[in-house]
Amino acid sequence: MTSGPARLFVPGRAIALGTVGVVVALAVWWLLSALLAGGGGVINRLPAPPAVATKLVAYARTELAQDLAASLRVFAAGWLIGVAAATLAGLLLGRVNVLGRIFLPVVEAIRPVSSIAWVPLSIVWFGFGFTSKIFLVGLAVFLVVIVYAVDGSRRIPADVSRAAAMLGMNARQRFLHLILPGTLAEVLIGARVSLMSGWGTVIVAELVAADAGLGAHLISVQQSYDVAAVVATMICFGASGFVMNALFTVAERRLMPWRRTHAREIDE
Amino acid sequence: MSAGVWRDRVVLPLAGVVLVALVWQGIVALYRLPVVVLPEPWAVARTLAGLLPTAAFWRDVGVSVFEFAAGYSAGVVLGVGAGLLLGESRTFRLTASPVIEALRFIVPFAWIPLTVLWFGTSYTGKIVLVAYAVFFVMTVSTTRSIMQVDPTLTRVGTMLGMGRAALAFSVHLRAAAPAIASAARAAAAVGWIAVVAAEYIGASAGLGVMITNAATSLQTATVIAGMIAMGLIGAAVSAAVGWLARSRLDYR
Repeated sequence: MTSGPARLFVPGRAIALGTVGVVVALAVWWLLSALLAGGGGVINRLPAPPAVATKLVAYARTELAQDLAASLRVFAAGWLIGVAAATLAGLLLGRVNVLGRIFLPVVEAIRPVSSIAWVPLSIVWFGFGFTSKIFLVGLAVFLVVIVYAVDGSRRIPADVSRAAAMLGMNARQRFLHLILPGTLAEVLIGARVSLMSGWGTVIVAELVAADAGLGAHLISVQQSYDVAAVVATMICFGASGFVMNALFTVAERRLMPWRRTHAREIDE
Repeated sequence: MSAGVWRDRVVLPLAGVVLVALVWQGIVALYRLPVVVLPEPWAVARTLAGLLPTAAFWRDVGVSVFEFAAGYSAGVVLGVGAGLLLGESRTFRLTASPVIEALRFIVPFAWIPLTVLWFGTSYTGKIVLVAYAVFFVMTVSTTRSIMQVDPTLTRVGTMLGMGRAALAFSVHLRAAAPAIASAARAAAAVGWIAVVAAEYIGASAGLGVMITNAATSLQTATVIAGMIAMGLIGAAVSAAVGWLARSRLDYR
């Protein structure tokens, strides 16, 4: 296993090599854009990095803050509702066996349906606007988190639960002190995974119901064939996703310090 | 099949489907919803049954499945290759991971407008998008599983005189194969979702287009029938990948 004190971290080398990687990637991008600038080939519209940077600065000076706020509002509302609903449903379906047997197959059947496929229905049901976007984001987050919630609610071994009962914990105490914390720990992982699917769904919802937000800006610059601005907007999406994920990692480490190794991805 | 398994695997799930259909029917009847808002379950079932014999439906399914299969295989091969490199070489990992991390956060959906500009409504754009989505899932999990291979295996291999490449391919990749296989299954779901999403924004054929066309002509029953087809095919695809992985990994 790679976890534990054996893992040495050399920040100087990591930063140097990482910088090399970024520089090489930018150079390749620049070279490609120069080669493809004359048209021809399939990709004849690759903007050079400076053009994208110019658009990025221009966007940051004008509507970025406002669009970002609109997107984040949709995301926060949908994500919170989705996580809360999935926790409740997960506890219910995970702990009550009959309910789980009846409804988990239904949940499993809905999961492979892309969130974008719900767009027409959500527009018919909730109209264009805030509610329909929250529905889409909430649904996407719910379908991710419920798997973790069900898993977490079943994770406490029956032995532990019986031992607790023998030691005099009543059903309510067992729920509050054993099952609930176990479930919430797992829900937290699901909540982190769902950050990206929720944020992706915000884009989808805004691409289709394009009235406000980063996605609406993305589709409007796409329709005016402003490729540099399209790439600049994509960078804004990526950067805000990255910041969200980083904030969540910090929060997770505060809440559950023993789970450090789970939070690490390929950033050794 | 014993009575308990029969009850848990067949009767209760069916009860769930029936219950959902009944509640659905009840809502439609109670609020007298127009067909555009929510058609009755049997109307959707009839629409789906009506779609099944048509050539147009199977053409759409074929297009979506083809785009998925092409993009998915490219994404898995490239992703496992990149993950193997990242897992084996620390230098390469430290160099490439900031770029990979940065790109990973630009979710596939955000690429849709750009792929439409670059590739139009052709199949290529969808294939690239699926490959992109699958690539990152596979790269991240392959890297992690390669790095988590029991160091004892590496030491045994080194002792037996294996070189770096032999270790990577014959020891690490094999030891990590089960974890990679389960990631491949998760990636199949991600890829399938990406195909339909891409078709939704810009395409000339496919399940996503079928649903969009039905939505613009306010045929909600066809929209829901399309969603059901999408869910069934998605579940079938992920089951097929799981079966393929299991049959290939028999040596475990």
